[in-house]
Amino acid sequence: MSALFITLFLPLFGSLLLLFFNRRNTELIEKTTLGISLLTFIASLFLFLSFDPANPGFQFLYEATWIESMDAGFRIGIDGMSLLLIMLTTFLTPIVILSSKNAITKSRKEFYVMILLLQFGMTGVFLSLDLFLFYIFWELILIPMYFIIGIWGGKNKIYAAIKFFIYTVVGSLLMLVALVWLGHYCGTELLHNQQGFTSNYLIIRDLAASIPLEYQKWMFLAFALSFCIKVPLFPFHTWLPDAHTEAPTPGSVILAGVLLKMGTYGLIRFNLELFPQASMEYASLISWLAVTGIIYGALVAMVQTDVKRLVAYSSVSHLGFVVLGIFSMTAEGIQGAIIQMVSHGLSTGMLFLCVGMIYERRHTRDIDQFGGLAKVMPLFTVFFGIAMLASVGLPGLNGFVGEFLTLLGAFNSPFLNSHAYTIVAATGVIFAAVYLLWMFQRVMFGANENPANHNLSDVTKRETWMLVPIVVFIVWIGIYPNTFLKVSENSTRALVNKLHVIKFGTPKFTLPVYKDDQLLQDDLIKPTEPIETVR
Amino acid sequence: MFSVEANFLDQLKDSIGLFLPETVLIATFLLSLILDLIFRKSRTLTGIVTAIGFVVAGICLIGQTGETAFIFSRMLVVDPFALFFKFVILLSGLIVVLMSFFSKELYETTEGVGEYFTLITGMTIGMFLLASASNLIMIYLAIETMSISSYILAGYTKEIRRASEASLKYVIFGAVSSGIMIYGMSILFGLTGTLNLFDINTFLLSNEVNMVPLMLSGLMILAGFAYKISAVPFHFWTPDVYEGAPVTISALLSVASKAAGFAVLIRFLKSAFIDPTLSSDVAWNTISSIDWQYIIAILAVVTMTVGNLVAVWQTNVKRLLAYSSIAHAGYLLMGVVVMNEIGIAAILLYFFAYMIMNLGAFYVVMLIANKTGSEELDDYQGLGHSAPVLGVCMTIFLISLTGLPPTFGFIGKLYIFSAVLDSGLIWLAVVGVLNSVVSLYYYAKVFRNMYFRGMDPPKEPMTFSYGSMILLFLLAIPTVLFGVYFTPILAWAKSSVEIFFG
Amino acid sequence: MINAIPLEYYLGLASIIFLIGTVGVLVRRNAIIVFMSIELMLNSVNLTFVGFSTYLGDTAGQVFVFFVMAVAAAEAAIGLAIVLALFRNKQTIYVDEVNVLKW
Repeated sequence: MSALFITLFLPLFGSLLLLFFNRRNTELIEKTTLGISLLTFIASLFLFLSFDPANPGFQFLYEATWIESMDAGFRIGIDGMSLLLIMLTTFLTPIVILSSKNAITKSRKEFYVMILLLQFGMTGVFLSLDLFLFYIFWELILIPMYFIIGIWGGKNKIYAAIKFFIYTVVGSLLMLVALVWLGHYCGTELLHNQQGFTSNYLIIRDLAASIPLEYQKWMFLAFALSFCIKVPLFPFHTWLPDAHTEAPTPGSVILAGVLLKMGTYGLIRFNLELFPQASMEYASLISWLAVTGIIYGALVAMVQTDVKRLVAYSSVSHLGFVVLGIFSMTAEGIQGAIIQMVSHGLSTGMLFLCVGMIYERRHTRDIDQFGGLAKVMPLFTVFFGIAMLASVGLPGLNGFVGEFLTLLGAFNSPFLNSHAYTIVAATGVIFAAVYLLWMFQRVMFGANENPANHNLSDVTKRETWMLVPIVVFIVWIGIYPNTFLKVSENSTRALVNKLHVIKFGTPKFTLPVYKDDQLLQDDLIKPTEPIETVR
Repeated sequence: MFSVEANFLDQLKDSIGLFLPETVLIATFLLSLILDLIFRKSRTLTGIVTAIGFVVAGICLIGQTGETAFIFSRMLVVDPFALFFKFVILLSGLIVVLMSFFSKELYETTEGVGEYFTLITGMTIGMFLLASASNLIMIYLAIETMSISSYILAGYTKEIRRASEASLKYVIFGAVSSGIMIYGMSILFGLTGTLNLFDINTFLLSNEVNMVPLMLSGLMILAGFAYKISAVPFHFWTPDVYEGAPVTISALLSVASKAAGFAVLIRFLKSAFIDPTLSSDVAWNTISSIDWQYIIAILAVVTMTVGNLVAVWQTNVKRLLAYSSIAHAGYLLMGVVVMNEIGIAAILLYFFAYMIMNLGAFYVVMLIANKTGSEELDDYQGLGHSAPVLGVCMTIFLISLTGLPPTFGFIGKLYIFSAVLDSGLIWLAVVGVLNSVVSLYYYAKVFRNMYFRGMDPPKEPMTFSYGSMILLFLLAIPTVLFGVYFTPILAWAKSSVEIFFG
Repeated sequence: MINAIPLEYYLGLASIIFLIGTVGVLVRRNAIIVFMSIELMLNSVNLTFVGFSTYLGDTAGQVFVFFVMAVAAAEAAIGLAIVLALFRNKQTIYVDEVNVLKW
C-alpha cells in the first residue's frame, strides 16, 4: 500500500521540492531529481516484489471519498498489466534524467519539474481505478509534454507542440463526454444509486456488459478515438512524427517509452473491459487499422532520411502489433501486447537515446551525413546494434516475444474471423528488418567519408550507465520473458474469461478466487434490479 | 384606511431590514463621494472606503443566508439564488477595487480616481438590485443604474482616445438594447396587465394569450439581457469596450455585469414563463407554447461558436479575453438550456470558477501592461522568462478557462456538460466540447508567446510589489485548489438554486 | 375622449416611431442624431405604455413612463458628455470616423 503511494506521490513531491531550489545550482537540482526518480524506482520494486501474480484482481486497493455528489473517489490499485507499465515508467525516468544532461541546455530546473510532473501523471493514469481520477491524470500529462516539446524542442517545435496538444485534446474531450454519460447511465439506469452517477471503475466494469449495445458502440468509439490518437493508430498518427522529431531526446524517450502506452493501456482497461460487446463488434475494424498501420508505418519509415523520423514511424508500425494483439482478445494476444508495450518502451527508448547521442555529436540526424561510424565509435555501434535488433524482433531479444505472441493471438483469435490479419502483419516484421538494417548499415558501416565524422568520441561513462540497464532488460525479456509474462498472466486471463463468457457462455480458463476479491465484490453496491441479460 | 397604512409601514420596516446590504452600499457610495470632495489629494482614500464598504456589505449578506421574502411591495425578492449572485458580484467588485490600487493606467492618465471607486459602488448597487428584481420596472431601473455607471467607467481614462471611443460605442449599443428591452416590456405589460413577474406568470397560467406578440415581447426582453451577458448577436460592443476600457473595468464587466445579466435572465424565465405547479427535478415546464429551450440552445451554440472562432484571430490580449468571455457566456447559456435545478446549480458553480479565473487573467494582463505599456500578444514574448511568476499564474488561469483539469474551470465545465448530458442533449454537449478545443488553440497562443518565443536573448527580469503578488496568489491558488476540492462551493451552489416564488 | 381613438392606433403609431428610431440608429452616422433616434425609440415605448395603461385602467404603465423619462435624461446627459470627450480627442462626432477599435 505505502509503496504504491510513494511510487505515485514521490515525483509530485520532488517537482514541488525543486521549485525551492536556486535555478543556477543545476548540479544539485540534477542530483536531487535523479535521487527522487531512483527512490521512486526502488519503491516500485517493492511493489513488484510484494505483488501476488496469482491474483487476477486488483491489488493494493485504496479508496478515499473525494467528490460525493459524483461518487468519484480517490480509488487506486494495480493489476499485472498496470504493474508492468508502472515499472516501465519508473525504470525509464532515471535514464531520461541522466540523458538530459547533454540534451537540455537551458532552463534545466523547469525541465526537471516537468519530467517529474509527467511521471506523476503517467503513474496516475496506470493506477487510477476511478474514471474521474483517470481523466484528471490523463489530462495532466498534456501540459508538461506540451512545454517539453515547445520549450526544449527543435526547429519546428511550436508547430509540433500545438499539433500534439490539439490532437490529444480533441480525443480526450470527447472521451470526457462519453465518460460523463457512462457514469450517468450506470448511476441512474443500472445502479440506481443516490447520486445518479458513479465514476467507480470497478462498479462500472461489473455492470458494463449490461449496457445496451447501441450505447456501448458510441462510447466505445469516443473512448477509442481518444486512445487511438494517443497510441497512435494509423489514420490518427500524423502528430507523432512531428512531436518525436521536434522533441528533445529525453522528451522523445518518454513519449515513445511511456506516453504512447497510455493509449494501448486505455484500450485494454476501458474499451475491452467496459464495452465488451462493442469491442467484439469493432474488433475487425480496429484490427484492420492496426494492420494498415503496421505496413504503412514500415513503408514510410523506409523512405525517411532523418534517423529520428524513421524511428518515429517505426513506432507507428510497432504499436500496430500491440493494438492487433489487444483486439485479438485472446490471452496470448493481450499478453503479447503487454510485453510488446514494455519492450517497445525499452528498445525504441534506447534507439532514441542512441539517435540523441549522435545528434549531440554531429548536430544532424540526416542519414546521408553519416557512414562508417562503426570505426570511430565501436562501443556505440554495439549498443545501437542491440537496440536496432531488438526493434527488428530478433529472437533472443525482447521484440521477438511480443510480436510473436501478438501474431499468435491474432491467428488463434475466435473474435477475428480471418487469418489475413496475421499474414499481412507478419510481412510488417520483414519490412521492419529491411528499414532498420538498411538505416543501420548506412549510418554505421561503409566508408567513413565525411570529415566531420572522423573524430567522433565513443560513448561516455554516463551514456554507458544509461544504456546498460536497458540492454539487461532487453536480453532478459528476450531470453526469459516468463518473469514478466507471469505477472500479467492471470489478470489477462480474467479479462479473456469475461469476453468468452459473453460470447460463448463459458469461461476459458479457471482462475483462483481470492478472498480480497470476494470482499471487494461484497462491498459493491449491487443493482436493485437484476441486471438485464446480454442482448 | 389607517390600518392599511400601518400595515404598509410594517412592511416597509421589514423590507428595510432585508435591504441592509444595499443600504450599506448606498452609504458607501455617498460617503466616498463626500470624502472625495474633501480630500481631493488623497489617491487611495475613496478606494479604501469602498473596499471596507464592500466587506461590510458582504457581512450583511452573510446575515441574509436562508432568508426568502418579498420586499418593497414585491419589487424585490430576497432568496438564496439572488444571494449567491450578490456574493459573486460583491466579491468580484472587491477584487477589482483591490486590483485598481495597482493599476498604473488609472493613476497616470486620469486626474483623480475618487469618482472611479464611487462609480464602481454605483454599478454594484445596480447589479445587486438586478439580481433580486422581480418587477419589470425594477429590472429596467437596475439595468440602467449599472449601465450608466459602467458607461462612465468604460471611458474613465478619457485622455486615451480608444477609451472615449469604447465608451461611446457602449452607450449607443446599451441605449438601443435597453430601448428594445423596454419596448418588449411595454408589450408584455399590455398583454398581461401587470409588471410583476409573478403576476405575469399567474396571468399566463390562467388566460389564453396571443402567441405572436408574447413571443415578440419575450424575445425583445431577452435581447436586453443578451446584451448584458454579451451573447451573440448583441456582443458587438464587447471587444471594443473591453479593449478600450481600463483593464480593471473590463474585468468587472466580464464577470460582475455578466453575473447580474444571468441572474435576471434566469429569474425572468423561471418566474414569468415556467409553470411553478409542475416544476420538477427533471425539467421545467414552460407555460405557453414558446419553446424557450430551443431558442436558448440556438443562442448558446451561436454565442460560443462565434466567440471562440473570432477569438482565434485576435492579436490583442484584452480583445482575446473579450471574445473568450463571449464564448463563456455561451457555455453558461448551455446551463440555462437544461431548464432545471441541476442546470442552474451548474451555472452557479461555473460562475464562481469563471469569476476567479477570469479576474486572474485580466489581473495578469494589467500587471504586464503596467510594466510594458502594451496589451498586444506579440509583446508577451519571453515573459515566461522575465516574469516567471506571472507566466505560471497566467498559464494556470488560461488552462482553467480552457477547462482542463486539475483546475476549477474544469469542474465548472464538467458540471455544465453533465447537466446537459443529464437532460439528453448530447449534441449540445458535443458542440460545447468541440468549442473547448477551439478555445484551447487561442489560449495556448498566449502561453506559447510567453514561453516559446523571444526567449533568447533573455529579457530583463521584471519586479512586482509584494501586495500585487499576494493578490495574484489569492486568485491563482484557489483556481487550482478548487479544481481538486470544490465540495463546499458545490454544496453552496446546490442550496442556492431555489428561486423564491411567494 | 380616449375611447374615440382605438388602442390599435396608439400601438401602430408607437411601432412606427420605434422603427423610425431603430432605422435612425442604424443608418445615421452623426452621434447626436443617433442619440435623438434613441430618444425616439424610448418615446415610442412611452406611448405604448400610456396607451396600454389607459386601456387597461392600470396606472402602473404611466409610472413606468416617468422612470423611462428620467432614465432617458440621464442617459442623454452621459451620452453627450462622452461625445464631448470624444470630440476633444478626435475632433469629430461621426461614428464612422471613430475607428481605432475594430474587429
